[in-house]
Amino acid sequence: MVKTRTWIVLISALLLLSLGLTLWLWLHPTGGRTANIYVDGELVRSVDLAAVEGEETFTVDTGRGLNVITVSEGRLRVSGADCPDKVCVNSGWLSGSAPIVCLPHRLVIKFADSSGGPDAVAG
Amino acid sequence: MNVKGLARDAVLTAVALGIFVVELQLPALTPIPGVKLGLANIVTVVAMFTLGWADAAGILLCRLVLGSFFAGNMMALLYSAAGGTLAFLTLLLLRRVLAENQLWVASVFAAMAHNLGQVLVAAAVTATPSIFVYLPVLLVSGIITGLLTGLAAQYTVSRVGRHLRK
Repeated sequence: MVKTRTWIVLISALLLLSLGLTLWLWLHPTGGRTANIYVDGELVRSVDLAAVEGEETFTVDTGRGLNVITVSEGRLRVSGADCPDKVCVNSGWLSGSAPIVCLPHRLVIKFADSSGGPDAVAG
Repeated sequence: MNVKGLARDAVLTAVALGIFVVELQLPALTPIPGVKLGLANIVTVVAMFTLGWADAAGILLCRLVLGSFFAGNMMALLYSAAGGTLAFLTLLLLRRVLAENQLWVASVFAAMAHNLGQVLVAAAVTATPSIFVYLPVLLVSGIITGLLTGLAAQYTVSRVGRHLRK
């Protein structure tokens, strides 16, 4: 049997590693100039956040449901969705680092320094 | 399984379902998707360590299916199935190497396995590998909540474990 003390050390090490990685990812956002919106892994729309003036709202029809996306200068949020869990709406305003995910609609919004590919659609 | 065992497992399923439904009513602690307490897993861990894998699997399966009926979210069942399976296998493996007073350790690793499964499914479903950036923060929450549920399970087994085994 492995000693309890060994388990405590192992779990503490894993906790510290995860905390460190979380902090590192939080302090090093992937850049937030452009928001790329993907459905099923395919880019459907790309928005240059730096070029947005005031607030703009548009709707993305994912084929599984609707997501209402609001962009303002340098940031973005999902302001409405007809999914049951509303995880994406509760994520609030985001401007880089972690992607916004709406699993029921298979919608992902990623932040990047430039638009996500040659087939990018101007926002 | 005899009638007594069936009744005991049904009661444990009801307990797990009750905890699950109460937890649904609690407001989310963080806006990060996938972070939750998972208190109903106290019952899974207790069942695994006192009754064995077959009873624990039955209780877990019934709770997950009935729980998603009550939550009204069948999609969530699909997404949690991968995490649930990985967590269950982790419990099963660790049961062989852990002493009776170390079962809380299994809960911590099961919670981490659950987080890994969640992120794997989310990445596969949305075809977006960058969802893995959520893994570290989910692991932090998983280790903490896994420790809480594990300790709760530990105390439950030391108090009522011998009555369940009868």
